[in-house]
Amino acid sequence: MAAPLTLLLIVAVTIRAALFRSSLAELIAERVEVVSPITAWKRVVEGLALLDLGVSPYSGDVFHETPLIIYMFHFLVDYAEITFMVSLNKNIILKHFVVEFRKQKFALEADRYPMDSLELIRSPKEMYYIPLKVAMFYLLNPFTILSCVAKSTCGLNNAVLALFFLSTIKGNVLLSAIFLCLATYQSIYPITLCAPAMLYFMQRQYIPVNFRRVSFWWFIVQYLFMYLGSLFVLICLSFFLLGSWDYLPSVYGFILSVPDLTPNIGLFWYFFAEMFEHFRLFFLCVFQINVFFYTIPLSIKLKEHPVFLMFMQLAVISIFKSYPTVGDVALYLAFLPVWSHLHRFLRNIFLVSCVLLACSVLFPVLWHLWIYAGSANSNFYYAITLLFNVAQILLVSDYFYAFLRREHHLTNGLYLKRKDGSEATLILK
Amino acid sequence: HHQCVNGWMTGCVKRFGVLKRYTNTGHLPFKNSAGQFFSSGHTNNWAVLVCTSRFWFNYRHVANTLSVYRSVKRLGIPDSHIVLMLADDMACNHRNPKPATVFSHKNMELNVYGDDVEVDYRGYEVTVENFLRVLTGRLPPSTPRSKRLLSDDRSNILIYLTGHGGNGFLKFQDSEEISNVELADAFEQMWQKRRYNELLFIIDTCQGASMYERFYSPNIMALASSQVGEDSLSHQPDLAIGVHLMDRYTFYMLEFLEDIHPASKTNMNDLFKVCPKSQCVSTPGHRTDLFLRDPGSVLITDFFGSVRKVELTMDAINLTDPIKQMEENPVNGEEQKEVYSYADQLPVSEIIHQKPKQKDWHPPDGFILGLWTLILLVFFKTYGIKHLKHIF
Repeated sequence: MAAPLTLLLIVAVTIRAALFRSSLAELIAERVEVVSPITAWKRVVEGLALLDLGVSPYSGDVFHETPLIIYMFHFLVDYAEITFMVSLNKNIILKHFVVEFRKQKFALEADRYPMDSLELIRSPKEMYYIPLKVAMFYLLNPFTILSCVAKSTCGLNNAVLALFFLSTIKGNVLLSAIFLCLATYQSIYPITLCAPAMLYFMQRQYIPVNFRRVSFWWFIVQYLFMYLGSLFVLICLSFFLLGSWDYLPSVYGFILSVPDLTPNIGLFWYFFAEMFEHFRLFFLCVFQINVFFYTIPLSIKLKEHPVFLMFMQLAVISIFKSYPTVGDVALYLAFLPVWSHLHRFLRNIFLVSCVLLACSVLFPVLWHLWIYAGSANSNFYYAITLLFNVAQILLVSDYFYAFLRREHHLTNGLYLKRKDGSEATLILK
Repeated sequence: HHQCVNGWMTGCVKRFGVLKRYTNTGHLPFKNSAGQFFSSGHTNNWAVLVCTSRFWFNYRHVANTLSVYRSVKRLGIPDSHIVLMLADDMACNHRNPKPATVFSHKNMELNVYGDDVEVDYRGYEVTVENFLRVLTGRLPPSTPRSKRLLSDDRSNILIYLTGHGGNGFLKFQDSEEISNVELADAFEQMWQKRRYNELLFIIDTCQGASMYERFYSPNIMALASSQVGEDSLSHQPDLAIGVHLMDRYTFYMLEFLEDIHPASKTNMNDLFKVCPKSQCVSTPGHRTDLFLRDPGSVLITDFFGSVRKVELTMDAINLTDPIKQMEENPVNGEEQKEVYSYADQLPVSEIIHQKPKQKDWHPPDGFILGLWTLILLVFFKTYGIKHLKHIF
């Protein structure tokens, strides 16, 4: 496993190094699909320059990243490319480990199910290649390559999230809370990953998920204490770094109130560009609640499968966050091979992949037509954005359906029969 | 393209329109039409043709405007008297499979673009503000003549608008609108400034009749392609070009105008009958209550053509009063000029020569200490104290 992984790493690093040195790097760094006002490298450099001039980097609407990023890049700005590649590779190694630990879970499950659904369970042989596939999906995904070449801080966010996954699956509560806190500190949305993390730990420690049990609440209190404590520490540290609380409205206020309406691949910009001031707050709340809203129902449904819940939650964040980029999309796409056993139940693969491919190609085309050629307008670009998000949602819901269907088959057998013995079909109502 | 000079009518008309002298040139039958000839009080013709939509799929609006331009030019109005406003360039659009052409018929029978089209306002210059300024004449002094409507009180003006419209408005460029009230007020300004003798207003948009509802100035006749609540429909798509080429009303109007030549006697009543509901699907409307003459006596060429009245006279006229030469003012001696010099507002030279202060920001020491202590704490908590001996 080490050799193919190393080979893959070398290939990925070569591709990125080649693109870094070519003239495409500036082109990619300006694309709105790849960088957003939060993650753009140009803004990080601006922020550092402002700091060198003695001005707070958060003055003016330039820099929207957290102070810890300032700290990190203050010393690493000349080695930025290497930093991003290193974080990327760390990402991969972490995912690799994540998947390895997932294998254990399958072994546990095998005993519980009736005979004919054994073919649904994956054999260790099949699962041997999954870590490599995950690594490949992430490293060679054009979205990640673009994101890395653009030096978008989304890559760092992904790395922290991968660390969070690793620590969760390894069972380390403290580290998991800390990394989740770091991820939340950078962009608010990963807070919803608390729920799957807690569910996972409870499963591992055999705490039943029951509202009346004391152990359940006690564990939640512990985890939240660690999480909120580290968040508090981080925020205070950031205050000490720059000596002011400027960063709170600039980072969190920016993410939540969406003042910048530069087009991106998300759903916020067009809607809020045509919104009347009177209704802005209302719709802002509606859109932001949309991200957090799916946590509770999904947790209730998937309380026995927290890892899948993490995947779903991650996908929901990537689709509905206020400034998504293709780097966020790449993160959850990388996890798809982990559920390759659901392949036989997926219904819309062809449609989704065609739409995603077509939209990815059409994004730059319609941008050019709108901004440079002037023969299209923002509606064209928004249509493609909508379609891209619809395709993503379809992908996520398809995987959800396939997962639930597999669970159903595992408990009820693969070939379902009606009462009179004839073959039955499952319908999703 | 024959010129508009007609040599077959003579006469010398006094102010109050009475026929004073009538030189016999042998065209006696035209005596009957003499009255008709002098019934309109205009001496020159202008046309303002506006297409308000951009984007490739609005090809038909540009084709509409260019068809009317073509007819108007063919019937004699010169380019200097036509203000053509096209909001987008279809002939040279990337998507035009036949570049430098704009067709108005399926199978590309009629290229209305030709090679002598003069567009006065193009692309983003076609705005509501510019349109109203052209109509009222309030243009900045630097505007060239070709962009001005230099009409006077003996001008008959044809105004043709096409694009996307609604009940009471016409959309310009997908970003702004002109309302019927504004248009009516602009025409009133024109009337008060004596900028027209008679005005023919034609509009080919959805719910076009709403645009002429508010007119209140005299001597305006208006035609529209559809009533309020109706949509004007397009005529035929061309599969080779991929878009609809013309709107129905203008298509049938063009067909009607192709039969007109400068000597035609067709009058406005025939124009009102163009494109009945069976052909147009929408009901074309017209408004003649503000017009002083009877529409039956108004010739099509009064607005669409530039039929000039020419007097042929055999008499010699004496020009008395020679023109006096004005004496030039003697040039004064060179005035004393004070020597002025430019004073710097900013002390530029000081700024340039000043070296920038190298102030490098460093994170505060307390922060670094605190951060690394925390990281170490977490590390040891997770992995246990026993690893210490591996580090030291």
